[in-house]
Amino acid sequence: MSLTLRRLGALPLGGWPVTVIAALGVGIYLFPIYWMLISGLKDSAEIFANPPTFVPRAPSLAAFEYVFVRENVLRYLRNSLVIAIPVMVLTLVLGSMGAYAMSRLRNRVVDVAIVVVLLLQVFPEALLATPMFIIFRTLDLLNTFTAVILATTSKTLAFALVILRPMFRQVPVELEEASFVDGCTRLQTFRLVVLPLMRVPLIVVGTLCFVQAYGQFVYGLTLLSQQELQPATVGIYSFVGAEYADWHRVMAFSSIFVLPILAIFLAMQRRIVSGLTAGALK
Amino acid sequence: MPGSQPALLYVFLALPVLYLVGFVGFPIAYNLMMSVQEVNLGNITEFARPFVGLDNYRTVLADESFRKVLVNTLLFVGFNVVAQIGIGLAVALFFAQGFPGAGFLRGLLLCSWMLPALVVGALWKWIFATEYGVANYVLQGLQLTGSPIHWLSDPAVALTSVTLANIWFGMPFSMILIAAALTAIPKEQYEAASLDGAGAGARFWYITLPALRPALLAVASLVTIYTMRAFDLIFAMTQGGPLDASNVLPLLSYQFSFNQFDFGTGSAMGSFAFLIVFAVALIYVRTLKHEEVAG
Amino acid sequence: MAGPVAAQPKTVSLWHPFTLETDMIHGGIKTFNESQNDYRIDARIVPAPQMVTELIKAIASGSVPDLVTLDNPVVASFSAQGTLTDLTERVAKSTTVKPDVYFKGPWASGLWKQRIFAVPRDANTLALCYNADMFKAKGLDPDKPPKTWTELLDAAKALKDPAKNVYGFGFSAVQAEEGVFQFLPFLHQAGGAVDKLDAPEAAEALAFWADMVKDGIASRDVINQRQYEVTNTFMAGNAAMALCGPWELPRLQNEAKFEWRLALLPVKAGKDIAASALGGYNWVVPKGAKSADGAFRFIEFMSDPKILNEGWKTGRLAPRTDVTVADPLWPQAYAIYRKQLESARARGPHPQWPDISRAIQMAMQEAITGAKPPAAALADAARKIKPILAKTPL
Repeated sequence: MSLTLRRLGALPLGGWPVTVIAALGVGIYLFPIYWMLISGLKDSAEIFANPPTFVPRAPSLAAFEYVFVRENVLRYLRNSLVIAIPVMVLTLVLGSMGAYAMSRLRNRVVDVAIVVVLLLQVFPEALLATPMFIIFRTLDLLNTFTAVILATTSKTLAFALVILRPMFRQVPVELEEASFVDGCTRLQTFRLVVLPLMRVPLIVVGTLCFVQAYGQFVYGLTLLSQQELQPATVGIYSFVGAEYADWHRVMAFSSIFVLPILAIFLAMQRRIVSGLTAGALK
Repeated sequence: MPGSQPALLYVFLALPVLYLVGFVGFPIAYNLMMSVQEVNLGNITEFARPFVGLDNYRTVLADESFRKVLVNTLLFVGFNVVAQIGIGLAVALFFAQGFPGAGFLRGLLLCSWMLPALVVGALWKWIFATEYGVANYVLQGLQLTGSPIHWLSDPAVALTSVTLANIWFGMPFSMILIAAALTAIPKEQYEAASLDGAGAGARFWYITLPALRPALLAVASLVTIYTMRAFDLIFAMTQGGPLDASNVLPLLSYQFSFNQFDFGTGSAMGSFAFLIVFAVALIYVRTLKHEEVAG
Repeated sequence: MAGPVAAQPKTVSLWHPFTLETDMIHGGIKTFNESQNDYRIDARIVPAPQMVTELIKAIASGSVPDLVTLDNPVVASFSAQGTLTDLTERVAKSTTVKPDVYFKGPWASGLWKQRIFAVPRDANTLALCYNADMFKAKGLDPDKPPKTWTELLDAAKALKDPAKNVYGFGFSAVQAEEGVFQFLPFLHQAGGAVDKLDAPEAAEALAFWADMVKDGIASRDVINQRQYEVTNTFMAGNAAMALCGPWELPRLQNEAKFEWRLALLPVKAGKDIAASALGGYNWVVPKGAKSADGAFRFIEFMSDPKILNEGWKTGRLAPRTDVTVADPLWPQAYAIYRKQLESARARGPHPQWPDISRAIQMAMQEAITGAKPPAAALADAARKIKPILAKTPL
């Protein structure tokens, strides 16, 4: 029996039967995603057919084709990546520094900092977009990826700080003290001792930040007026009109939109699992 | 902490906080300023607008829909926090059992959270449609309900429906965060407890839960914030209707600003959302003190 | 560097939401850009639900586009607050944009205090869509669609088929502007008016809707269905008749697998008031536009009957009386919508139309969910609207 099972005090289950149960559960949970995929293959009359059809009557790739050919999906996806990757990096750099400081300092300053960080997250982007626009116009950064990256990081950073802080606390102070005894400065200790121990949480948080940045819509719309620069979310939303919505196209676009991040996430997931078995946080 | 250079820690702390204050501080100040001014399309370009004191706040408090929507918001956020953490914890524990493919399946679950909120809303609107929706089709097929449920058109049910959809949307995110925290619990603690003869329940109660506490609190405050400002999903599902039954503060505030062009009132509503998160932030910081005592 | 430099064309930034490649705007932009060297249209597609929000952001931050297409009921809110360029002088000099050739309703939606702030781009209105196959199956004559409310009700009763999940009639009563757009024709046909919501005529109109839902002739989901979803239920065969705008025609043609036809909206017997709601987009030039002259040149270009003729390809009616599409697509539908447009009334124009609309939305939803009787719900709405109308009458 695996170590993980015993340590969690779980039921004496294991092996493939559990996998089957889990796969079933995940399958049911993700039914709406299946629904999205097949909706992209249906025509809009069938989407609303009653009773609903679980397998498209006459599956057609027309919506996918339309999205690919007409909407320049690859450009949209590239823009989304060009925004999401720097957001992830910037968030991890600032977030790990801040969370480390928050985990080591215990005083009023930290309390105030945490409250400030949380409070700054409350307004929806839709209400913040106008003043954000004013800021970036003043900085002369409108219609640049930099603007969207900086604005989106203000959303993901608070998340990273809040999640990473308790995780940094798990790193035993004794390890750092040993490092100081060895003559390392705090900066060296942070880089060479603490960060390597935090590999798994950083990968998890980084991935989640990436996904959030990838799904960001409002700043991508407001700060980038040139279509060539806009991220995929803006492309998806443009199918939703005032008078009609091409839902099968929205669904086809969304399916294409999800696939790359799904691939990235599953790849990351394997790293996390291998990190676990290697006892990364031990 | 002997031998440490706390000055560096303060620099580390200052960098992200200043970043946030720099980029979000002004937008929030801008909104708070509008909440005490009379703002309309005609003067929205200027900064110097007629100061009206707390008039907008009085308007908000007198508004029938506001009171209803405030209660909705608290329920929506409350149920989301409880359900996302409860279910998220259970699912995270389940996947932590290390059966073949656990990591892969856990990753797949996150699909739901990767979709744009508007798309999630549209999907659930179909699923919950009374006649052609899958939810009623399945429930009636399984004989779980006789007559179709009016998920989105019954004012008594609509809030539950959007809450369910949002839990579906957000739970995997909470789950992944909890799963990450689980990996950080030192294995020795479990081994020692097992040797002492602690049962599964005891190990969960005395080791897992206390060790997860800080992470769960962090997730709770994050879920609060994300649910507070999530409105794309509700917008796509019900536009807040019927009769504001499924409306929440951020959406109402948005509607007042951008549908009714009543920016002052809209901003004042935003301030109430601000107060709610302020309360949550204070609670969160208070619990950190306990953490200090316990740790 | 000396010597004359060839004049660079001036950029005119345009925001519009038209994603269909067949929309007349795309061909128009191309031809315009090729036909002259003074201006170059730089178009940006803004998702329709975000258009107003984006425009407000642009106004608030002081960097507006030169030209925007705006849904007509919100235009008054912008023009009354002085955020749009007054086009009166330009229109006076124009040889293409002549007020008297426009339909009254569309033209009125661009006026504020006798000044012209918008020029209609297209117009639309509602008509009755019906499933001719279902008519035949139930022994109704598809050549004789309902002409009055009573006939509509009788036909809907005959057509509904709960066993097959078929409702007789579909409409949108969603908590949004489009719900009001669909209700107003009934209000006006009953002899009611937006400024007299507490009158019995208004209550009759709303009761007509509420009773259809109560009696299972229309789905309870109408209070959560947007217009395109109503059309979807019609196309999927779950509603035998539905309120339908011409913009749905391309979809109906591609996706409805039965014979569909159109009819004028039924009127209320005894009153015989033909009425419909007016929809459509207006061209507006935000105040502070850097290239207002270029924007107006493009408005004139797009108002040319030759271009407007192309509008019908995506179900956009021309807002001008002097445009008749020869040999139109969907000729039967074209004739009906063209006729219906004559009785289409503008919403407002009123700077606080969104507030008025919200009050009506609430009343509709209260009556249809059974929270309040129609008359009481409308009396509440009238009470909310009264101070607004006292400030600025309709």
